[in-house]
Amino acid sequence: MNRAFISVFFLLFSALFVSAQPACEGPPPSTVPVLDPVKRRAEYLARVDEVINWAADGGQAKTDDPAKLDLAMIASKIVLREDLHGCSQRVINLMSDPGTGPFWMFPTVCIAYLGRDHLTPEALASIRTAWRTTRQLRGDTENHWAMYYISLYLMAELYPNEPAESWYSGKSSSENLAEARSYLIYWMDLATSVGQGEFNPTHYIGEYVIPLQFLANWAKDPAMKKRGAMMLDWLFADLAANTLNGVLRGPNARTDEGSAIERWQAMASYFSWLLFGNTPPTSGYGGWGLYFAPLAKNYEVPEVIYRIATDRTGDHLQRDRARVRRFWRYSDELSPPVYKTNYLRRDYAVGSTRGGLMDAIQAHVWDVTWAEADPRGKHNTMFSLHPLSSMQALESMFVTYPEPMIKGVTFEGKPSYDSPDKIVGSSPYERVCQDLDTVIALYDIPAGTRFPHINGFFSKDLVNVTEDKSGWIFAQGGQAYLAYRPLAPYHWEKYLHYTSGWAKVRRDLGGSLLVSPHLKNGTIVQAASASEFKDFAAFKAAINALPLLFTLEPTPSVQFTSLRGKQLSFAFDQVLTVDGRAIDYSKWKLFEGPYLNSEIGSRKLTITHGRLERVLDFNTLTVTDRVR
Amino acid sequence: MIKKTPAFILLVLLAIGTLAAAEPAYDFFVCANINRNYVIGSKIVTTNGVFQRDAAGEWKHLGYNDTGISAVAFDPRDRNVIYTSALNGLWRSLDGGKLWRMCNDWDMTESRDVAVDPNAPDHVYLALPDGVAFSSDRAQTLVRRENGLPARGKYTQVVQVDRTRAGRVLAGCELGVYLTEDAALHWRQVLPTKEMVFDIQQSPHDPLVWLAVTQSVGAWRSLDGGLSWKQLAAVPTTHPLYNITFDVTNPQRLAIGSWGLGALTSEDGGQTWTDRNAGLPAPHRVWRVGVDPVGQLYASVVAETLFVSSDFGRTWKPDSLAGSVVNKFLIQPKSAH
Repeated sequence: MNRAFISVFFLLFSALFVSAQPACEGPPPSTVPVLDPVKRRAEYLARVDEVINWAADGGQAKTDDPAKLDLAMIASKIVLREDLHGCSQRVINLMSDPGTGPFWMFPTVCIAYLGRDHLTPEALASIRTAWRTTRQLRGDTENHWAMYYISLYLMAELYPNEPAESWYSGKSSSENLAEARSYLIYWMDLATSVGQGEFNPTHYIGEYVIPLQFLANWAKDPAMKKRGAMMLDWLFADLAANTLNGVLRGPNARTDEGSAIERWQAMASYFSWLLFGNTPPTSGYGGWGLYFAPLAKNYEVPEVIYRIATDRTGDHLQRDRARVRRFWRYSDELSPPVYKTNYLRRDYAVGSTRGGLMDAIQAHVWDVTWAEADPRGKHNTMFSLHPLSSMQALESMFVTYPEPMIKGVTFEGKPSYDSPDKIVGSSPYERVCQDLDTVIALYDIPAGTRFPHINGFFSKDLVNVTEDKSGWIFAQGGQAYLAYRPLAPYHWEKYLHYTSGWAKVRRDLGGSLLVSPHLKNGTIVQAASASEFKDFAAFKAAINALPLLFTLEPTPSVQFTSLRGKQLSFAFDQVLTVDGRAIDYSKWKLFEGPYLNSEIGSRKLTITHGRLERVLDFNTLTVTDRVR
Repeated sequence: MIKKTPAFILLVLLAIGTLAAAEPAYDFFVCANINRNYVIGSKIVTTNGVFQRDAAGEWKHLGYNDTGISAVAFDPRDRNVIYTSALNGLWRSLDGGKLWRMCNDWDMTESRDVAVDPNAPDHVYLALPDGVAFSSDRAQTLVRRENGLPARGKYTQVVQVDRTRAGRVLAGCELGVYLTEDAALHWRQVLPTKEMVFDIQQSPHDPLVWLAVTQSVGAWRSLDGGLSWKQLAAVPTTHPLYNITFDVTNPQRLAIGSWGLGALTSEDGGQTWTDRNAGLPAPHRVWRVGVDPVGQLYASVVAETLFVSSDFGRTWKPDSLAGSVVNKFLIQPKSAH
């Protein structure tokens, strides 16, 4: 029985038991692209229905008792026109105790618009009242502001010409609208000219695309509506190009422990499933992802984006620019550029930034990940990092005092921040370079630094892990052969995992940490497909034959001839040279690769796959499709 | 009757005068957040924001429940005009806290401090993580005024207006103390530092005396209105110092709050300093210290409560506001309104 048939069977079976999460719990979907547009659309709509039905049936609460519904369930019930009276009562109840911030704002906007013609006037009035009485906190991150200002924009449009005293902000509808519009255009200009601050987020993609979808559907201003739709395409194209079989690969501005080791375990996977159908959704359909479903049928996944995600004929190298979201202090630049590389092949992907300090808590700098037929529960990654825990790093990004935040963040959803064995975060003492499927990470950690060592993550799902006398450690993940070269002595520790952002205890999920307690340090990783070699021994022999010179004193530096025959020379705080030529980062584009291309400052993205092309031009607010 | 009237009036005036002398000339406020582990997206389940100490010694909540209020200021002409510095930026109420307006646009955020010029009360200064904003119209409009501040290094934690002269303001920034004498049109550095200046205070006893505390270079004093500074040698430089305060009842008494050092006091004008953590819960993570109009010393101990001492730190007893972190103690001359 082929996988596609199994998937269809499960979809049909699931219709009988809508409280289950068939796509989440069933076998993995086929990764074969669906080329028939009618069938592709039908499958997309079926996936949307699966989410809506599950949410309307009570979702995680497993109840359709209106008194227990949350706003996501109510949204789905409104779409299905189910128990609208009960929904109205529940909205009134929920609005009597409103939340305070963007995560409350966008769900209420969703209900306010979806329920316009379906909920009782009292229910709608209760939402409006809450927007008068309860001060809304704008938050302090880029995703907070996207949610906040899109929500404010849409509510100001929904209730125009109302006075300042009728809004929590003390500003009139027109003032709120103008402020929100101004920020959103600013943010879109920034993202489309020098890149996102929260680039390739594993989870926060939802916090962007959900409100953007609201904007694309509900904005009255045609220009803002268009902007919403175009940003959706922009972000989904970026997602498509950086996934392998639906799983997001490479570096992330912000992630967490779960997504760092189990790359599938991310809201990005929910969107891959929904849009491309090529990986299972995460449990609960991404949680917030439920708010995308009510309008999802209005979104046509552009074929060119679908094909980028699903129809890979060969290896592809994508080099992009992004930016650090913001350094308030202790930095010469407010928002330094980030240079990303992602190299994706059939069996594995290698991705990196250049290292240095990015997000102080949640950045994921580089890794090698491999394809798994079923990615659920698989820790399909290998990387190293310096586990930075720094007052100054936190001060640089947050309006905080030196001491409290280190412990504080561990109680605020980032439990591992001050753990010496953590596996998430960036460090100013790390420099990374990449050429195709070779990564060199060098570390120069000042004496006295908290956690004066580096951690290398070795997954439970690696097989044939071999500590070779040459100094290389060989392993196999899926159909990828991996060679990991620590540049300083090390020992092994058990990897213990925080299973959620609020976990109090850590669990042994398998896996190990290579801990190297040396200030001058480094890691080289070389990946290859198993199919390139006769056997594992041949791979090991090939790696051992590669010329390698390195020194750690006074500054870590490496000269290495990669498996691809490239002579790589890299030293800490120096630019990588490949075959004697230094990489010129000043020439990097916003996007450059076979699928996505954009010049810095252009506000224009060309998306291509084969003969298909879509151009998103924010200068003219036009979308141009053509078959080349 | 006629002869008796002046005596009666004199008695009444004497009685009023006696009462007035007994009543402090200041009001006392705190900005307190009682929001353990609050993160954006979670529900605020506690009362946060501005509290005023009333005559009975109780803290009375004033205005909005906002978890991120870092500072409060009042129009000296009208106590109903209130400014708060918060996560969203600057909020203003013109009616004693019933209605509020978010004064800034999206280009300002996470303000750290707010101050009103007592000699130009329409003028409002806002400390921002990326500079300073100014308003000449009671915050109806805000503009950035950063000429003379460094392009990088202008994270501003505190703004303090010199009460003796309109437009004279000191700002505590990442790279030192900066002074303007023309309502923020021009700034100049008067004390360089490599890391944050966390607090600046003007003496209520001598307007030429100013104190500043820093992240890594201890405490500093100016005796010439902030033009020149000298380090207070007896204050440790081992830990960041979060704030410093005078005592309006005694010019010799000073106090410092510090996460790492707890509460420190001086009773000789800053020549010597004493650890006053005995009686405070350990670890002595003091977020702020303050002194009320009758000379009681307060210490906000993180994740504990507010503590009060009637003997300037020798003994402590818990006050209310359990679980709070006080971001600001504000002592304010009593308003006619």
